[in-house]
Amino acid sequence: MIANFDFDVIRRSLGYLFLDGMTFTLMLTGLATFGGIIWGTLIAMMRLSGVWVLSRIAQLYVDLMRSLPLVLVIFWFYFLVPYIGQWLTGASRPIRVGAFESSLLTFTLFEAAYYAEIMRAGIQSISKGQPAAASALGLTYWQTMRYVVLPQAFRNMLPVLLTQTIVLFQDTSLVYVLSITDFLGAASKVAQRDGRLVEMYLFAALVYFVISSIASFGVRRLQARIAIVR
Amino acid sequence: MIEISHVDKWYGTTFQALKDCTTSVAKGEVVVVCGPSGSGKSTLIKCVNVLEPFQKGTITVDGVSVGDPRTNLPKLRARVGMVFQHFELFPHLRIIDNLCLAQEKVLGRPHADAIAKASKLLDRVGLKDHAEKYPAQLSGGQQQRVAIARALAMDPIAMLFDEPTSALDPEMISEVLDVMVDLARDGMTMMVVTHEMGFASKVANRVIFMDQGEVVEDAIKTDFFDKPRSERAQKFLSKILSH
Repeated sequence: MIANFDFDVIRRSLGYLFLDGMTFTLMLTGLATFGGIIWGTLIAMMRLSGVWVLSRIAQLYVDLMRSLPLVLVIFWFYFLVPYIGQWLTGASRPIRVGAFESSLLTFTLFEAAYYAEIMRAGIQSISKGQPAAASALGLTYWQTMRYVVLPQAFRNMLPVLLTQTIVLFQDTSLVYVLSITDFLGAASKVAQRDGRLVEMYLFAALVYFVISSIASFGVRRLQARIAIVR
Repeated sequence: MIEISHVDKWYGTTFQALKDCTTSVAKGEVVVVCGPSGSGKSTLIKCVNVLEPFQKGTITVDGVSVGDPRTNLPKLRARVGMVFQHFELFPHLRIIDNLCLAQEKVLGRPHADAIAKASKLLDRVGLKDHAEKYPAQLSGGQQQRVAIARALAMDPIAMLFDEPTSALDPEMISEVLDVMVDLARDGMTMMVVTHEMGFASKVANRVIFMDQGEVVEDAIKTDFFDKPRSERAQKFLSKILSH
């Protein structure tokens, strides 16, 4: 039976799979992580601000994002963003938003909810004396956050943040619903075209497994190093 | 320099932490605040730079009312040094950077000037060789001396000490007190919450005794130690001086 498989299809499509597909996947993962952590940190700061309105808005945001299936949010943004853009810019018709921009925005906003909860735990792990000492030296709220609280929170939470990024890396494959050629999308297209579903999906699974495993291993190493330094 | 007048503070609506507290610290004066735990002495000192907000009364520092919403608090706090019970050095920064951060970000001092100032102060507290280390690499006594140097780097007009030796092992207390005595003799205006009566009798001008949120006694040092008027102060003194 194994003789019927044609694993050469993988070799023939490597360029397409990695140069087109994996590049897109990694770019989306990287940019969404970057934006998600920044936006998530702001959400966490709002949540902990002690200003009732801000805190409730942040909580609502996190709860909303975490209670919706990601695929639904991807669809939603893809069809909704052109109209929001129209409304914001006052254009006469829905603005054109590419699938990449749309999915990047979606993943950034969606993952921010998860990063926000991680950063919130990180900020809360810093003893109250730290911001007090910073204030006593005359640092403003933003300076205290920028130079004292967030660097420590970020450092404490780095392994957890990176683990979330590994999850994000896998989740990006859901952009297939927008017919985008990410790594899995590329593998899928080759599989359909050449009728080599088993081979291609096996290979795709292997690639995701290897990359995620190596990344997880790296995170564990990092965790051990941070534990020593502190 | 520091005028505290009829200050009330509540935690929530039920617990009153400070009751009608009035006292002052003149320029160059060293005032020790003592009293049993839970008496409100730490709360009172934290009201001076509004790390704790208070609901009634006024506190002025160098003529500036700290409770006034128009007061620029960061600016005021930058002029009042504070030393905490648990040191609160920034663990992710080297000692030298702990001393430079606020100098540069708050006072806008050029990096070279901040470094020079920091080195001078580290030398003064006897820790010049530790500038490149991280706080966790120092002992408690050393960390507290760094914390004092960090506060002094801002050229404060007054210093607040909130139980600076309470978290220290006994053998490290004197090295911190030595720095404080030195500072007092230099003419620094100091308000010190402490149980170290040896320090009080050595350099304090006045001693304030607090109990249950009230200033029970506010007296010249010699009067306080020789003939405390209130029964509560007598009891407190007999307890902590009996050993």
